Amino acid sequence: MSQNCVKSFQDIIFDLQKFWADYGCVIIQPYDTEVGAGTSHFATTLKAIGDGHWDAAFVQPCRRPKDGRYAENPNRTQYYYQYQVILKPAPLDPQQLYLDSLQAIGFGIAEHDVRFVEDDWENPSLGAAGVGWEIWCDGMEITQFTYFQQVGGISCSVIPVEITYGLERIATFIQSVESHFDINWNGREDERKLTYGDVLKRFEKEFSAFNFDVASIDMLLEHFNDYEEECLRLIHHNLVMPAYEQCVKANHCFNVLDARGVVSVTEKAWYISRIRTMAKNCCQAWLECRQEAP
Amino acid sequence: MQKEFLLEILSEEIPSRFQRDALSNASTVFTKILNDYCTKFSSVSTYISSRRLTVVVKYLIKKFDNVPEEKRGPKVSAPERSIEGFLNANGKQRDDLIVRNGYYYLQVETHSDDIEDLIPLFIRDFILKMPWPKSMRWYISSQKMLSAFWVRPIRSILCIYDDGPVNAFIESVGLTTCDYTYGHRFLAPDPIKVSDFEDYENKLKENYVLIDYRKKMSFIDRELLQRVAAIGLHLSNDDELLEESTGLVEYPFVHVGTIDTEFMKLPAPVLSTAMKVHQKYFSVEYPELILAPFFGTVTNVPGTDVMYEGMNRVLKARLSDAMFFYKADIDVTLEAFAQRLSNIVFHEKLGSMAQKVDRMMSIANSKDEHRAVALCKADLLSQLVGEFPELQGTMGGIYAKIQDESANVATAIREHYKPTGANDVLPDSFTGSRISFFDKLDTLVGFLGMGITPSGSKDPFALRRSALCIIRLLCDSEFNVLEEDNLSWYVTTLINAFSDQGVALYPDTLENVHKFLISRLKIYMTDKLMINQEVMESVISSFDSVDFSYKDAVAKSKKLSKSLARAGFGTIKEALKRTLGIIGKETPENFDENIDFLDSHMKNLKNHIEVCQNIHDESEFFSSIVRISEIVLETCENVLINDPDPDLRDKNASLLCRFVKLVQDNIGIV
Repeated sequence: MSQNCVKSFQDIIFDLQKFWADYGCVIIQPYDTEVGAGTSHFATTLKAIGDGHWDAAFVQPCRRPKDGRYAENPNRTQYYYQYQVILKPAPLDPQQLYLDSLQAIGFGIAEHDVRFVEDDWENPSLGAAGVGWEIWCDGMEITQFTYFQQVGGISCSVIPVEITYGLERIATFIQSVESHFDINWNGREDERKLTYGDVLKRFEKEFSAFNFDVASIDMLLEHFNDYEEECLRLIHHNLVMPAYEQCVKANHCFNVLDARGVVSVTEKAWYISRIRTMAKNCCQAWLECRQEAP
Repeated sequence: MQKEFLLEILSEEIPSRFQRDALSNASTVFTKILNDYCTKFSSVSTYISSRRLTVVVKYLIKKFDNVPEEKRGPKVSAPERSIEGFLNANGKQRDDLIVRNGYYYLQVETHSDDIEDLIPLFIRDFILKMPWPKSMRWYISSQKMLSAFWVRPIRSILCIYDDGPVNAFIESVGLTTCDYTYGHRFLAPDPIKVSDFEDYENKLKENYVLIDYRKKMSFIDRELLQRVAAIGLHLSNDDELLEESTGLVEYPFVHVGTIDTEFMKLPAPVLSTAMKVHQKYFSVEYPELILAPFFGTVTNVPGTDVMYEGMNRVLKARLSDAMFFYKADIDVTLEAFAQRLSNIVFHEKLGSMAQKVDRMMSIANSKDEHRAVALCKADLLSQLVGEFPELQGTMGGIYAKIQDESANVATAIREHYKPTGANDVLPDSFTGSRISFFDKLDTLVGFLGMGITPSGSKDPFALRRSALCIIRLLCDSEFNVLEEDNLSWYVTTLINAFSDQGVALYPDTLENVHKFLISRLKIYMTDKLMINQEVMESVISSFDSVDFSYKDAVAKSKKLSKSLARAGFGTIKEALKRTLGIIGKETPENFDENIDFLDSHMKNLKNHIEVCQNIHDESEFFSSIVRISEIVLETCENVLINDPDPDLRDKNASLLCRFVKLVQDNIGIV
């Protein structure tokens, strides 16, 4: 490949992996179940709770059924990738560390207007809350930066920082393309070039139809109830991680139901409170188990 | 600068919306701390930028030097106990006592700590006591503990006193104060050594940090105005956005960019809201106030082509999304949206939005009102309002026009959320005012009827605001929102509508709604209209029904307040009292203007009253009423009003009634 070739989507990921590996993070793999954000990976939620240190980084494919646009909107999709970094405790100057990572992936900070704009993050269904910013590049949010204060309804005893990069958005800036689907994925410029669209456009279209129009409501309702029951049952067996996984799955069922437009506002609150109860129980059980350990 | 104290707390980015209040809070808190530690100073000023909060104290010294002072004690003849007590209290011995003029004296040194010793305490207390709307803690690895609360992690503390650095370890944040700070995050990241405030402000400016919030704000305003004026356009005024933009940069650079013409098809409110909410872009207008295909924005670093390209890309994405929603919305009729209102909960105890609409329907009157009520909440189901809740009403109005509703109905839908508070404008149309009134009254009746009343700072359903808006619609509007009926009728009809929907409100709801509204009216009159408490009370207590006109109450109070302030008011009041004592409260309305009086007093009074009614100058008019009142008092002394001859008595009484009416109508005495 020639020198002035565009930086590929996969190269951006490789560089981030390298940057955070060099920093000392464990580079782990995505959670192998549907999640709405990297925060839901047990490597964030559960590992953020309690004392001790935990530095991890990973790519997380995310599902947000309601954000689907049948691949017609250049920047909004129901499936996309986050790069998630969790540093516990937060180091001395995580903002600078973040800016360094942007440089490392070929993002010319000097040419852009990068700003930290207040955006406190809250995930009521995980009982999690934090204080931080969305990081803007020329007016577009490219990263979420959060100091966790509470997870699973429990105040953090050591404050972690979570950095969540929106990989597609960053790639559109680096490659100067208008649409996510135009992102050069493999970096080739010849006939073997593969774009984000080549990889995911059909996926996006079909899943939009699935989420909005076709998914079986009865099945999803049944699954939700089953996952909930299983989650609470597993907690009694002190199997926190399997229980947590049921909670994440129930959450996804709810998100698809919501996209199908069958959840009224009252019901929505009811579902969210059920998910919150599951998440809270998992986090509490996790903390208790850890405290029992020598 | 001699005895000057300079403190800068450098943190990670402070949310923009906190900054303006932080300026005054920091000043209050720091002043209090200085007083608590018994110091003297000439002034405290505060400065803020997105990464720093700065406090400057001019001429800060300890309250007194440790000079010995003579303290007088008990008389020499006082009992032994008192003398012991005097010695103990001052830690002295019997030998130290001095006797003069029959009293004991002691040489005492009063104690005041040195400022240098107090500075670490000022800083510690300031961090502890500075109130932020929301704050956080972070982990201090070196001390293995959580920090004190601050708005964002503190990274460095600069402290200078009397032209010298202060090195104090502030344990709660794990930092030692120093005499250097840092400039702009990207444009001047290196440490900057500082000697005093003047030096600090200048050096920061050189290093791209404007520390004066107001100056920075007016700089942005001026620059943007100039830039758009250069292309013959106006900046659409938005103080909220200007303030937000100010807090987001340490040094402002402005840019005016263009909007793709394809997006100019979007309704103007959608375009400006999407730009403002997501991008914090200012809208730009042609001289005739039509939106122009440009936007204004503020950046923290100088613009580059790559940056402008990025901005355009982002804006395009945002507006594409808005266009997607808009197109999807106009494919659906408002009726179709309205049919889904039963899916939206208004409040769990008070039913769905569809039920709210049904209740509002019960107090609606005309055909237009019924139509507007039926459609006014429909846009809550539209995608654009889902994305931009602040466009509720506005979108309904736009969609109503598109589907050819009458202009009156479309306007009413658009306006029916107005006013949203004390400072918002009232609806321009009669129907809009009425629908707004229905909506707010329904909310108030429902919540109060369920026993949900605001208490203290807790008013989660903003019932005080609903009441205020109802009061403003009744008092300030040019329209008679109530039409033929009184307030009780509206409240009762709504209570019945609730009952028809199976919602039983408390039996005393009607009474409670009146009580609540009147209590808020009183506060509105005293706090907002600045009417004297006694005046307000006397006017309101003069009404014998709760269904009095709020508008009249305000008008009367205003008149009375004005009269009270003028010389001669006492005379008028006395004359009125005297007159009412003679002729009784029942005042005949009819007065035959052609009656002639033989009595010179009565003749004189009649002339004056007639002349007075032609006076247009306000203060002259008032003086003339004072003069008339004097004549009335004189007349009452000298003339037997209740003459044995019933004809003459009626004539006399009738003239005095004319006086009573004159005073009551124009002076506001009730």
